[in-house]
Amino acid sequence: MKKRIPAILLAALMILSLTSGCVSQYVDKTTEGTAMQTTKAPETTPAASDSTAAPVQSTEADIKGQSLTVWYAVSGTSGELFNELSKKFENEYGVKLELSYSGGSGDTATKVSAALLTHTQPDVALMYAGPLYTGGEGDFRIAELLKTTSDFDQDDVFEGMMDYCDYMNEGICAIPCGISTQVMYYNKDILKAAGVDMTNPPKTWSEFYDVLSKVMEKGNISGSDGFKAFDTNDEAWLFKSMLMQNGCEIIENNNGEITPIFNNAKAVEVADYWKSLVDAGYMSAAQHSNAEKAFLGGNLAFIAASSNRISRWTADATSFELGAIEMPYFTQPSLALGGNVLVILTEDESKLQAAWKYVSYLANAENNTTFALGTGYLPIHKSAMERQEVKDAIAANEMYTVAFNQLSYTWAYTHFQEMGTMDSQIKAALGKLEKGRGTSQELLDKAVKELQSEIDDK
Amino acid sequence: MSKATKVKYSYNRHTVSFIVLFLLSLAMIFPFVWMILSSFKTAADVYQYPPRWIPSVWNWKNYSQVFSMIPFLRYYWNSILTTVAETALQIVISILAAYSLVHLKWPGQGFVAAVMRSSMFVPMVVTMIPMYLLCASLGLIDTYSGIILPQITTAFTTFLIMSYFASIPQDMIDAAKLDGCGPAGIMMRVVVPNTKGAIATATLFSFLGNWKSYTWPLIITTKTEYRTLPIGLKYLTQESSSEYQVMMAAAVMTILPVLIVFIFFEKQLVRSITLTGMKS
Repeated sequence: MKKRIPAILLAALMILSLTSGCVSQYVDKTTEGTAMQTTKAPETTPAASDSTAAPVQSTEADIKGQSLTVWYAVSGTSGELFNELSKKFENEYGVKLELSYSGGSGDTATKVSAALLTHTQPDVALMYAGPLYTGGEGDFRIAELLKTTSDFDQDDVFEGMMDYCDYMNEGICAIPCGISTQVMYYNKDILKAAGVDMTNPPKTWSEFYDVLSKVMEKGNISGSDGFKAFDTNDEAWLFKSMLMQNGCEIIENNNGEITPIFNNAKAVEVADYWKSLVDAGYMSAAQHSNAEKAFLGGNLAFIAASSNRISRWTADATSFELGAIEMPYFTQPSLALGGNVLVILTEDESKLQAAWKYVSYLANAENNTTFALGTGYLPIHKSAMERQEVKDAIAANEMYTVAFNQLSYTWAYTHFQEMGTMDSQIKAALGKLEKGRGTSQELLDKAVKELQSEIDDK
Repeated sequence: MSKATKVKYSYNRHTVSFIVLFLLSLAMIFPFVWMILSSFKTAADVYQYPPRWIPSVWNWKNYSQVFSMIPFLRYYWNSILTTVAETALQIVISILAAYSLVHLKWPGQGFVAAVMRSSMFVPMVVTMIPMYLLCASLGLIDTYSGIILPQITTAFTTFLIMSYFASIPQDMIDAAKLDGCGPAGIMMRVVVPNTKGAIATATLFSFLGNWKSYTWPLIITTKTEYRTLPIGLKYLTQESSSEYQVMMAAAVMTILPVLIVFIFFEKQLVRSITLTGMKS
């Protein structure tokens, strides 16, 4: 009986917590409008949000009354803003959207794979590696729509971003939305204590190495044993950028035959530099998953992390002053793109125009810029830089300048089926390298060999 | 050794045991305390180094934010419904299977047991796509049945119950047979009543496993009205990073049913663990 009293109390507490939460009830944005979004999507008319220069445009009348199922792999504030923009489209075009969060990138990939097998896929999806599920299945309808309609101005999109939507150089099969690059963030308090003048930031990795040396010498203002000068929370992403910066193309695509080449002399130079950071004690060995917590805890001076942190690491999220610089480079600035794309998966051809209108609506200059500024992802349109809201954002937060400046040298390699395996192989190789379980050449050779083996077994 | 020395030795021994157990208890309860305190912190407090134990400001907004970001009540109800159904069905099926494998004799019994045992070594990710195909062909996508049915059989629960059923003395079974009990009567009147503690343990494990089930409910559902709490918790996270304070507020509310179930079953759980070491 005694044991039941606390159980009953807990049950009462549970009911109380549930009812108290009702004060601020959830509002389903797909059906009941927008209620609590902090980033307001601007009001537009359909005509104002579309390009008008192309020969054919799907009209409101063609698509009104249709319904689309949409899966999206963004959560938190990004998910909310995605919902809000979708709701706006629903209101303007009379298309009923059934939106469903599909989990993280891995979950969504599993869900879409299973759905494609059973023909239960959504009509549209916002997901990572989308071209694998469209171009990979021989579906290049988006390339056709780009040619035959004027709903989306491809010429206004940064070149690297359209490459990100290509499958095996066979054609465009996705539209970028929720794209990011890595940005080098830093703790201004630490750099100030270390006496580093960040008005003239390091441009190359060599200069960056010298800065890290000063940081380790004088920058440990928290007095922590675990203090480090630099880290990244996504080592494979950064390493791929560094490879390109040093002239290593990562993979070769010879008419659909993929050959990984990230074990050549240029790649080994990069890996040796990586190892030197660990050997000098500037970067932790194989502790990258803790990098973000260490940085936000004031225990790390620099972190290379996604540009989408710009909107998340707001003033109340950090107890120090935050800054950002453009990513250092070896011989040429270059940054690998990451993030999500919109894909059309519908098998119902009668829904194709509605799906395309929805995709092009989300990705047009106005809405994409709204999404970018609300989430920290990057605008995909060159013309976005001229928009007043972008200028205002840059004026309010200097870190946007860094992220937007980097857009001019972003790139993407073609999507291929084993690209996930490649990232895993690079991560594993770097982990072993950091722990001294092999030389750069040995470990990269092994990673390339195993990746090639998987490609050949396909 | 004099009586006084013995008493002193015993006293010292108990004191040391008490201190060790107290420290272990603190270590066990630490994550819970941290979770509750973090649910009231601001983002800056959560990431502060050295860690801040007590929130600088008691931020109750984290709780209301949970309700504004996801349909928490709907997810809560769905989790309770599916977890209770899955657990009840798992236990009933496991009892029947365990009794059949331990106390009945039938052809192929060993083979079936071996197949069941080997299924424990197959990760769920391997069976997920075939399971999805099956559910899709049966029209179970976006239904409670689709969430529940594929999760009602678990080899682990069956083998856990089997190990306890095997401890029932054969003499007791034979006596029941002499008294006129059939297989069902023996199971319901002899075996199950004598292994209540074990069944409670299996129920607890089963409940915990089902309560935190994430991947399958995510794969098989797309509509909000069928989604469960773990999916809601995942939605609260930002891509690759989290607003931990909001997640902790959701986690505090999420673990309450688990605590309630644990408190109700604690007596049986402890008893079953104690009996595990005793010979029949």
